[in-house]
Formats: sequence, C-alpha cells, structure tokens
Amino acid sequence: MVSKKVTLVNAQGFHMRPASVFATAMGKYSSNVTIKFNGNNYNAKSLLNIIAACIKCGSEIEIVCEGSDENEALADAVERIESGLGE
Amino acid sequence: MLNGIGASDGIGVGRVMLIAEQSLDYTPREIADVDAELERFRSAVDKFCDNTMEQAEAIRQSTGEKEAEILLGHIAIIRDPFMGGEIENLIKAHQCAESAVDQICKMFIDMFSATGDDLTMQRAADVRDIRDGVISVLLGVQEVKISDAPEGTVLVVKELTPSMTAGINKENIVGIITETGSQTSHSAILARALEIPASLSVANATTQLSSEELVIVDGFKGNVLIAPDAKTIDEYTAKRDAYLREKRELENFRGKTTAGADGIEYELFCNIGTPKDATKAVEADGEGVGLFRTEFLFMDRDRLPTEDEQFDAYKQASLILKGKPLIIRTLDIGGDKEIPYLGLEKEENPFMGFRAIRYCLKNRDMFKSQIKAILRASAFGDIRIMFPLITAVEELRAGRALVEEAKADLKASGIAYDENIQVGVMTETAASGVIADLLAKEADFFSIGTNDLTGYTMAADRGNSDVGYLYSPLQPSVLRMIRRIIKCGREEGIPVGMCGEAAASPTMIPLLISFGLTEFSVSAPSVLKVRKNISKWTKAEADAVAEKVMAMTTEAEIKEYLESIV
Repeated sequence: MVSKKVTLVNAQGFHMRPASVFATAMGKYSSNVTIKFNGNNYNAKSLLNIIAACIKCGSEIEIVCEGSDENEALADAVERIESGLGE
Repeated sequence: MLNGIGASDGIGVGRVMLIAEQSLDYTPREIADVDAELERFRSAVDKFCDNTMEQAEAIRQSTGEKEAEILLGHIAIIRDPFMGGEIENLIKAHQCAESAVDQICKMFIDMFSATGDDLTMQRAADVRDIRDGVISVLLGVQEVKISDAPEGTVLVVKELTPSMTAGINKENIVGIITETGSQTSHSAILARALEIPASLSVANATTQLSSEELVIVDGFKGNVLIAPDAKTIDEYTAKRDAYLREKRELENFRGKTTAGADGIEYELFCNIGTPKDATKAVEADGEGVGLFRTEFLFMDRDRLPTEDEQFDAYKQASLILKGKPLIIRTLDIGGDKEIPYLGLEKEENPFMGFRAIRYCLKNRDMFKSQIKAILRASAFGDIRIMFPLITAVEELRAGRALVEEAKADLKASGIAYDENIQVGVMTETAASGVIADLLAKEADFFSIGTNDLTGYTMAADRGNSDVGYLYSPLQPSVLRMIRRIIKCGREEGIPVGMCGEAAASPTMIPLLISFGLTEFSVSAPSVLKVRKNISKWTKAEADAVAEKVMAMTTEAEIKEYLESIV
C-alpha cells in the first residue's frame, strides 16, 4: 500500500468535470484507489463517490493505492491533482 | 400576479405551454430470470445514453459547449462503475430494474442533498433527471416534445431538466416558469445561456397557470403577470424591446479593450463580495477586480474565520481570475454591523468611530491572520492589498509594517507569497483627500471610494431624507477632493482607481478621464455600459467639460450641465 497527501488547487474543487476525468483515469488501474478526506474513505474510481465527498479548492486529501500497479496509480493521481485536474 | 426568483433577464410575453409530469409509477416485482433483467437494465442504459448524446448534440448547436457538458455528465454518472455495480447487485438479488435504479439513485440524491453545498446539491438534480430518464426508457414512456412548441410559448414546468432544455427552440420559447430552482441551479444557467427570460421557484405555477393562457414573464424581478390587459402588454413589450436593443448594442463592447475615442486605454475592473462573484466579473468581461470586500468571511457566523479559511477564499477568487489583478480590501467593519463574536460595542456614531483599519490595527492577531492569508494567496495570482478608512500616514505605516511582519513569518515557514505585493490606500475620507500628497509618497496605489468619500466630505448621510440632498459626488467639494486625490497620485507616479458607484456614472466619466483616473471598478452588470461610455470621450473633449464644470459653483448647475451633454 502506498499513499500521499495532496492539496486540491483547481478553483471549483472536485466538481463534475474534474471528478469525471479523474475517476475514469483511476478506473484504468487494477489497484484499489481511495481518497481519504475529513475522516472518510471515498472510492476514487467512482465519480459519484468523489462528488459526494464535496472536496473544495485548498483542501488537503490523502490518496491511498493498493494493488499490483499501486505506484503508477499513485503517481498519476498526484500529478493530476497537483496540475489542477486539467482545468 | 405570481412571484418567483428572476433568474434570467428579459421580458417574455406569450402563451402558456404546460408540461405535465409523466407518471413514472411502477410496481416493484420479484425477478426470476436475473440475467434477462440485467440485460434489460443494460440495454435501457445504452438507450438512455444514446438519447442523451443526441440531446447534448442538439444543445451544443443551439446553446453551447458548456451547456452540452451538463448532459454529457449524465452519461458519466450512469456509467459510473460504482453506481452501475450497486444497481446490478440489487437486480442480482431479484429486484426489478426500475426498483433497483430508483433505490440507488435515491441513495445518491439523499447523499448529495445532505451536503448543504450548492454545487453538490445540483448534482442531486442531475441524478433525479437520470433516474427519470432511465425509468422512462424501462417503462417505455415517451418524453414530451418541447421542440414542437409554437412561436410565442411560455414554458411552465415543475423543474426545467437539461434533457428538456435540449428541445427548446430559442425562436419560439419566449419565457420559462418553474416551480423549483434558484439563481445558480441548472434551470437558471440554461435559461441564461439560451437568453430566455425566466422566473424560477414560482409556487404552484403548474396548477395556477393553464395552457394557452396569456402571461408576462418578468425575468428581472421574477414576476409572472396572468392575463394582462392591453396597456400592461404594451408597457412590457416596450420594456422588452428597449432591453433587447441596449443589450445588442452593449454586446459590441464585449472582448474589446477599454479605451477613449482617442485610443487612450483604461482599466475596467469589478467590485465583488465573494469568491463566487469573481466568476461573474469574468463573465461580465471585467479586466480584474478593483475591490474585493472581505466582510462576507466574517459575517453570519459565530467565530473568526481561520487564516486557512480566508486563504482558501482569496486563492479561489484569484484562480478564477486567472492572473487578472485582484485588489483585496482588508476588513471594513464597525459598530454598525452585527458581528456578535467581535464584541464591538454599539457606538454613538459608528461611522466616525472604532471601525475598519482602526479596529484592525488594535486587533493585531486578527488583522495579521488576514494579511497572511492574502499574502499566501498572492502566490497564485496578481493580488494587491488595500486598507480602508485611512485618515493619517501612521495608519498606512502601521499596516505596511504588519505586512512586512507577516512576510517574515511566511518566509521563516518557507511558505510562498508575492514579495513585491502592492499595498494601497482606499481614499474615502476627507482627511485622506487632504493629505493625498503625503499618502501618495508611501502607498503603491490609490482607489477612491466615492460612496464614503461623498458622505465624509459632505458630512451627510444619504439615508437621512432631511440631509440626503447634500449627498452627491457632483458637489463641488467632492469633485475637488477627487481631482486632488488623482493629481497627488499621479504626481508621485502611482495609479489611481475608483471603486465607488460614481465610477459607473455616465456624468462622472468625462470628469474622471480629465482628472487622470486610470482604473474604473464597477459592479459586474455595469462593465459593458461603462466601456461604452468611456469610448465616447477623447481626453481633450473631457478636459473641456471638466474645465467648465470646475468653474461652476453649485451642484445643481453642474448636474444640469453634465446631464445635458451625456
């Protein structure tokens, strides 16, 4: 299992479009990808889970990956979030 | 008359088309053949996605990319592996597809609605739309065709769904009335994008109005007039035509630089009160924000906002502006505002009392946390700090010293900020006008707050009907004050802007151009109007007007003259 804390930088937070792009990207990995935020766990492969987490700009979240390609998944997730989720 | 929320500007006069809700009732039943039911569910989803793609394409052509995306989001949601998986699990437990879709969607609707977050709650509306769409396919219910609506139709629906919007023909639909929705809901966004006047949240609209009835939708006020008489129709038709004419004219100024008739360029910014307003500023074609009031962070709560909370808000506004200037005014409160946790005492005369920079300098911890939050946000855009109610040079010095202290703290903690952040003065007191020459030597910029400057110069409260007549920025004293502030700023080579209502006033604009103002900061809806008004003037013509005005002795004379020439 690998994990890393990152801060959300895109202005609108994890709203529809970034959440959708992110969930789709994470869906390509066989590892389980989880977002830890405010003491809850959210399935990062599910757009709806991410939206329900209500993560705003400036919030710190932890990405946890577990599985055969966990390192690649984590690196990809962190890079996407730090670059503002393509916004 | 019915009342609602005006959510899309304009006036619509037309006949009601009532969109009744289709019954999506089904009888839950136990499924014997799970595989067949899974197949039925999956093909319903495929069909739903096909329909949605088609509608999105129609919206893309009629309205735009952004609006089409709302619908494409529906596909992403129904294709969500988590949602699909949960629905299929219920089907595997022998529930029928309708019931499975209904339950899982309801779970998400409840979850999103419970967050209390505006944006997330809107997703609940999406899931509701998806549930209805998929269940309609499963039940074989035909959707109503809004595309067949005749010319001059006012749509009346419980809720305007994105899928309904796809069928709207802009030429034929002249107004929209819904029973739900707010300024920020999908219905409102779509109505505005389609430029159709809309009144939302009109209670019982679908039962109070009947098909073919003549109504007027006032999208400014949110009113719906039922069966108006000929005179009222004429009145509203004239209003509608005037609005459309002006709108077309102003649209020509969108995307243009703000410049006088001689090509001299000016900056045209917006005044905002929340980070969200920054979006409005950008949409209104503002070139930056000349006044970001920070009071919202401190109001309607029971404790001080933390540095992080403030940082989030400032950063958010800055990111929305994408590098355009953002002037943040530090806290401007006093005994006239109800902020119980600050323990501000009721004062005899709060406007001349313990407020704004005076209060902040006495509450250093609070002030420093605001300054640190602004500095941290300055790493994300062109942010500038502005102090309100400055009356003496010492106040500016004390504020600047605190900025330096905050910088040192951040540097020690290795936190990024803009080392060269500009610190300016909101010149809004008579004192700051008189000592503008001294302040200009130590400030990086001035911004004239004409609302308070007028009040403090004239010693007149505009809300007091006995003395309100004195309150006018066209008073010779106020004009001299403004001219002096701009002159002093220019002599020291610092930019001078204006963030009061006067900056948007057509009669003030030639005077401000002549005095040498370089930045106008106005409310978002005024941006294009002000750009148009500025474009009418050359510096030489404005100078001639100003020369005449400054030779006049009374406000009445000045006002009469200016109104005769603009």
